[in-house]
Amino acid sequence: MDAFHYLLNGFATALQWQNIIFAFVGVLIGTVVGVLPGIGPISGVALLIPVTASLTGGLPPEEAATSAIILLAGVYYGAMYGGSTTSILLNTPGESSSVVTVLDGYPMAKQGRAGVALAIAAIGSFVAGIVSLVGLVFLAEPLSDVALKLSPADEFSLMILGLCALSGLAGKSVTKALIMTVFGLLLATIGMDNVSGVARFTFDMPELYSGLEFLTIAVGVFALGEVFKTILERDANEGEIAKISRILPTKQDLKESAGPIIRGSLVGFFKGIVPGSGATLASFLAYLLEKKISKNPEKFGKGAIAGVAAPESANNAASGGAMIPLLTLGIPGTGTTAVLMGALIMYNVQPGPLLFDEHPTIAWGLIASMFIGNLMLLILNMPLVKVFAKLIETPPKYLIPMIVAISIFGVYAVRVSVFDLVLLLICGVVGYFLAKNDFPMAPLVLGLVLGPMIENNLRRALTTSNGDFSIFIEKPVSLVFLIIAVLWISVPLIMKMRGKKVVVNVEG
Amino acid sequence: MSKTFDRYASLLFLVLGAAFLIGSQNISASAYGSNVGPNIFPLGLGALLVLLSLRLFYETFKYKQEEKKQGPALDYKRFLIILVAALLYVLLLEEIGYVVSTFLFLLVGFQTMSKGKWLSTLLISGAFSFGIYFLYVNVLDGSLPGLPAWLGF
Repeated sequence: MDAFHYLLNGFATALQWQNIIFAFVGVLIGTVVGVLPGIGPISGVALLIPVTASLTGGLPPEEAATSAIILLAGVYYGAMYGGSTTSILLNTPGESSSVVTVLDGYPMAKQGRAGVALAIAAIGSFVAGIVSLVGLVFLAEPLSDVALKLSPADEFSLMILGLCALSGLAGKSVTKALIMTVFGLLLATIGMDNVSGVARFTFDMPELYSGLEFLTIAVGVFALGEVFKTILERDANEGEIAKISRILPTKQDLKESAGPIIRGSLVGFFKGIVPGSGATLASFLAYLLEKKISKNPEKFGKGAIAGVAAPESANNAASGGAMIPLLTLGIPGTGTTAVLMGALIMYNVQPGPLLFDEHPTIAWGLIASMFIGNLMLLILNMPLVKVFAKLIETPPKYLIPMIVAISIFGVYAVRVSVFDLVLLLICGVVGYFLAKNDFPMAPLVLGLVLGPMIENNLRRALTTSNGDFSIFIEKPVSLVFLIIAVLWISVPLIMKMRGKKVVVNVEG
Repeated sequence: MSKTFDRYASLLFLVLGAAFLIGSQNISASAYGSNVGPNIFPLGLGALLVLLSLRLFYETFKYKQEEKKQGPALDYKRFLIILVAALLYVLLLEEIGYVVSTFLFLLVGFQTMSKGKWLSTLLISGAFSFGIYFLYVNVLDGSLPGLPAWLGF
């Protein structure tokens, strides 16, 4: 069977009525999450894992996993659409990947072209979503075929590469990012060892035997961490919300933004595939590219439509591109995809090369649902943009305590243990203070998710080599991965030492 | 970047790394005839964490003297009230039931965020706690601690 055939089967899955509803709810909540300040895609996805777990409780396991991941992925790319709304209307980005959109989006709004800017952002996001999905369809099979041929040693090195890629670009200090990665890996060792059944670091506490729950930690550090930040730093919205008048862009607008949308999509897609770079960097690069090749670069920053079209396309394409390493290699490249991976593992579905063989319904159903979801988002965002804009005015007074209550409900619904709830609060407090001091949280969660797999591959490889560590540099593929991993960490460091400014990923 | 915070954090991670390092000495070093046991991974990582925190500790000495930029003062009072309320909420959840504890927590939370508007506070807290309980328990067949028995229901 070829990719096209698989995709058709995927559509058959995605078009089941419950999956259409799940995709719709996902993109709707995603848009809301993108619009609401103080809650980003990563905490949105984390918060919704327990909700989807209870919604899909009655379905058979395979269908439950498909529906859940369809909803959660919908939140992820839906947030990319929603994030532009606050950037354009309020001069504050709803999430970090829309930071660049502010530069030209807000000036456009001040000129009375807010509606047009929002429409172009939505159209650009749609085109980009489709571009990255087409890429995903064509790359998924060949990449997972290659990945299937990897030995345990190769896989270990590939995962190390994934961790280094995220750490090298996450936050201001590589040392801190690496500390968080290693700490995440260490937390993953708590509990019963899968291979030998030995209890590690459990101190005879029954709660610890099954290990620290990924969900509890993710909701704690991301959702509660952000909530505490809002409470402590009075992240209130001040300033005027621009009015939306005309929504449909003119022919001239479309003509001016066609190029930037296509270029932004391509930049975003390739940037998204590379682990660690994520949507924020992609939108920066797309914006800089447009400014460089534009005939009149002085218009940028004063309301150039290309300055909205390019970054908004790029961040959406990047979120699609980021699904590729997650689904085919089992290596999440960003914090949000790490959370998605954790969700899949909760359903006993292991992302990676075997996903397409063992669970084609899930993999292709998800891909097909993303086509449908993007179409829904375009339809939602064009006429309803005024309704979403109203959401910006949601008073934090009600929003903040409710997010806390939803986090607690969610974790309790899945875990039914007070121990996890206390752990949740601790993670929230610790997460806030660490994140405030530039200790990035994404590597921690990635370490926690990848930990058991890295350990498994490490031990399998070492067992075949009788405990000899040189197996990792004797195998050529593994050696190449390790060299790239080292370069990934060291090149930005060397560039920093030479006084060059390195763009880092600020996406949580 | 805060020099003091980073210094204390590096020491904390140093202690944690050392604890994992020492803790993994007690774990079996072999499994089923393989000489690669469950101890090797935490052992190596613990050592790595120790090295990295030493590196961070060293880096803190090179931080430029930070200028005291006075950001807006952090609202610790509001934060502590909500944190303590949340802690009581999770500890009492199984004692007094989901609806009551959630209602009380939201009441405190809303009023701490900003005082006043009692009517909408009561309405939203009530709707949220009853709504979630009803949806989850009656529609989705989940289970949450119900109303406390001493209320006589």
